[in-house]
Amino acid sequence: MIRLEKIYKWHNTGNNRVFILKDINLTIQEGEFVSIMGPSGSGKTTLLNIIGMLDEPSEGRYDFMEQDVYRIREKQRSDLYKQNIGFVFQAYHLIDELTVYENIETPLLYQNIKTSERQAIVADMLDRFNIVGKKDLFPVQLSGGQQQLVGIARALVAKPRLLLADEPTGNLNSKQGEEIMEIFRKINREDGVTIIQVTHSEKNAAYGQRIIHLLDGRIEK
Amino acid sequence: MLRNYLKIAVRNLLKNKGFSFINIIGLSVGMASAILIFLWIQHEMSYDQFHEKKDRIYEAWNKDFFSGKLQCWNTTPKIFARTVEREFPEVEMATRVNWPSKYLFSVGEKRISITGNIVDSNFLDVFTFPLLKGDPNKVLQDVYSIVLTEKTAKSLFGDEDAMGKMIRINDKDNFTVTGILKDIPNNTRFKFDYLLPWAYLRKQGNDDDNWGNNSTRNYVLLKPNATLASIAPKLKPLKRKFDESEKTNEMFLYPISRWRLYSSFVNGVEDGGLIDFVKMFAVIAVFILLIACINFMNLSTARSEKRAKEVGIRKVVGANKTSLIGQFLGESILLAFFAGLVAVLLVQLSLPAFGQLTDKKLFIDYTNPYLWLSFIGFILFTGVIAGSYPAFYLSAFKPVKVLKGTFLQSDKVVTPRKVLVVLQFTFAIILIICTAIVKEQIQHARDRDLGYNKNNLVFHYLTGDLEKNYPLVKNELLNANIATSVSKTSAPITQGWSDTWGIEWKGKSPDDKTDFDRYAEDEDLGKTVGLQFVKGRDFDLKQYPTDSTGMILNESSVKIMGFKDPIGEIVKDNGREWHVVGVIKDFILQSPYHPTKPMVIEGAKAWFNVMHIKLNEKNNTADNLKRAESIFKKYNPQYPFEYQFVDEDYAAKFKAEQRTGTLAGLFAGLTIFISCLGLFGLAAYMAETRIKEIGVRKVLGASVTSIATLLSKDFVGLVIIAFLLASPVAWWLMHNWLENYPYRVTIEWWIFAFAAGISILIALVTVSYHSIKAATANPVKSLRTE
Repeated sequence: MIRLEKIYKWHNTGNNRVFILKDINLTIQEGEFVSIMGPSGSGKTTLLNIIGMLDEPSEGRYDFMEQDVYRIREKQRSDLYKQNIGFVFQAYHLIDELTVYENIETPLLYQNIKTSERQAIVADMLDRFNIVGKKDLFPVQLSGGQQQLVGIARALVAKPRLLLADEPTGNLNSKQGEEIMEIFRKINREDGVTIIQVTHSEKNAAYGQRIIHLLDGRIEK
Repeated sequence: MLRNYLKIAVRNLLKNKGFSFINIIGLSVGMASAILIFLWIQHEMSYDQFHEKKDRIYEAWNKDFFSGKLQCWNTTPKIFARTVEREFPEVEMATRVNWPSKYLFSVGEKRISITGNIVDSNFLDVFTFPLLKGDPNKVLQDVYSIVLTEKTAKSLFGDEDAMGKMIRINDKDNFTVTGILKDIPNNTRFKFDYLLPWAYLRKQGNDDDNWGNNSTRNYVLLKPNATLASIAPKLKPLKRKFDESEKTNEMFLYPISRWRLYSSFVNGVEDGGLIDFVKMFAVIAVFILLIACINFMNLSTARSEKRAKEVGIRKVVGANKTSLIGQFLGESILLAFFAGLVAVLLVQLSLPAFGQLTDKKLFIDYTNPYLWLSFIGFILFTGVIAGSYPAFYLSAFKPVKVLKGTFLQSDKVVTPRKVLVVLQFTFAIILIICTAIVKEQIQHARDRDLGYNKNNLVFHYLTGDLEKNYPLVKNELLNANIATSVSKTSAPITQGWSDTWGIEWKGKSPDDKTDFDRYAEDEDLGKTVGLQFVKGRDFDLKQYPTDSTGMILNESSVKIMGFKDPIGEIVKDNGREWHVVGVIKDFILQSPYHPTKPMVIEGAKAWFNVMHIKLNEKNNTADNLKRAESIFKKYNPQYPFEYQFVDEDYAAKFKAEQRTGTLAGLFAGLTIFISCLGLFGLAAYMAETRIKEIGVRKVLGASVTSIATLLSKDFVGLVIIAFLLASPVAWWLMHNWLENYPYRVTIEWWIFAFAAGISILIALVTVSYHSIKAATANPVKSLRTE
């Protein structure tokens, strides 16, 4: 599903070139659950963003579902992204002015799905994550764990095949964190959604079938 | 999708009430100003455009050389109309409209002075003034027929049917009402409350066939297939053909579409006119709207930090740039719509006052579909203009950066906004300077030495029996100590009614066509209005009966006539010889903005229309007038006592300029108001984004004053840049405007200093609220938020 080849990412500061990622070669099959670990500044988030097409490397090749991401047209890439990738963030990143229902609905708006169909999908999601009673609340009215549930629901509502999570439990206590991890495991196993998560926690990393260690922009081992 | 956007927009508006308020108020004030101006412009453009035959209607004009300069004027001989109808097959008909005349109307006990026109009987065939009653082909046929407007009919006959009723005019002739006109609209050059037939003018002996007497206005209706080009060359020499004394005169037809807005000629060529004003105000309208839009842009981009996260998230969940631009444009259009509603309300509320200011009856015709269409267009336009920059700016955010929180690059963000603030203030300062100079110019002309004393001076037209009983009235006024001096004149001292280039004197060069103001008095004018004699004396009929053919010259005349010793010289005018008895200093007869013209004052043998009365200063004015009224009633019982104060009549000369000044001031004020709203919002944002910097500075020991200064300094800098940009533009504009006035102020440096001072002060006051608030905040709090 994902194949990264010789990915480099650097910034130029003055005459110095500061490398964030160096020679990353990585292949991830569909249905895998991968955890990326590493100390702060090792390039985890950058790697995740490159995989998620939010960022671009300075050099290298990226194939996503057999398509060379940097050689297809902007529009195609955007469609590829919209239909296949969902994001979950440490800081949840819900839209404060929208209710839970509306937040979950948003990705569907950008995919031109009919109103009736949209309602059905969102209702299904609310049901699945047990937040039907909270659908008319605004993000500020929810606890961190609940917000992250909404965040995950939103990431999954468009039925992506790849879920990217950037320290999804970073702002949560351990119990809430565990719940989220259980959900991830369930989605991965039952729905076959590929998951790549960045995490600091060994325990959470262990939910993945494979752990990738990053250090100073390189994959260890 | 749309619903989602709408929700976001409304919730955002509600969440940031302060910002929304500033935005909507700023935008709606800007829109309201623009709408008012456009209403005024639309009104000006609509003048005489309602005539069904407007494409074929022309006014007859003259063009001739005077002292080497081509002059154009629109009074033409009375005989013109019938002549062109006879001579030119292209002419369908021609109609004459004489000067407005005020007559005393009596119906039973009711006596009212009413102003109207004497016109040719085909007047209503040429111009579209619909008759409610009466046959348009017959109404003005009979010598003693009269057509009233609905309003006049009502004031004379109340609710009774006026048709066929009798009206006595000037206690002399009885007229039958043959037609009732719908009240004439506001947007026409014609202003009459009744129409009388030309036959009546002829009956009074006022018609003439003199080609040299440019005494009325002639209008020509061309046939539908005739072109101006075909008739123009034939019309050119018309006057020369019939009057051999005319050597260089040319006649031409001037189309109805240009009457109102152009008809100002310099050296024989159209030059400006009201259209300049219309254009200037259109520019002002667009600028005010733009300034309001700039506000919107500034405030929206200032809030971009808040919106940035939303943009980032939307992009992550799949939004592309286009849909985001759509969303933000939609928001600004929604806001423009709200502002538009408020603006209509503001316009409706301020319309009466604005109408008074512009001397017009303006209104919004809500039934006009084009109005709604243009209103919607206006809102869309404003919304798109106001929203475009924020939309493109916001939608370009990179989600990775925004969501990481490293998005704040305040320097980069602020620069375009600074440019916008400079732009706003440039415009505001231009308007401040212009207002100040216009006011200066008015004051300058007001302070000008008139050449006579206008205090306690009133004039009264010689209505009814006043002409006949003048000596008796004068005597009683003097004997009763109501007046200290009384004089009979040809025109009010503030108005030039007559001028001529036909004056002859010894040594006049044959091609001299100097135009003289022509005035007349019986005697005592010098004493009554306080003229200053430099040589000789005023007329005195008791001591010198021959003063009835005497003449008084002003100094300009003496200079032009080249007299060494003017007293005793003979000057010919109107076939009569006048001997000069005195020379006065020039006084202002007409425009206080123009140099005084050469002038001749003729003695008692001339025509008289007015009497001037110098009221006795020892008595109370109201008392004087009350007693004068009883004397007037005694000798002129049929007519009302309708005096006018000379100083009030003189003050009316400043009306147009005062209006310009007031309007410029008003729009300057509005521009400043809108700009300050924007500045206020921007200052709030600046204080917010620099909160950490302020905290650090305070911890390091900065005082409140130094921080407040730091925050305000930037804005003052912007205003100074705006001032530097505005000054030359304002100077250039005002320099051109003042060119219209031969008697004008010099543009002084202190006006600019004043404008700079006041705009900096206003900016400082606006900004200081947030600066001081930020400076006095507790640094511990602000640093903790990081």
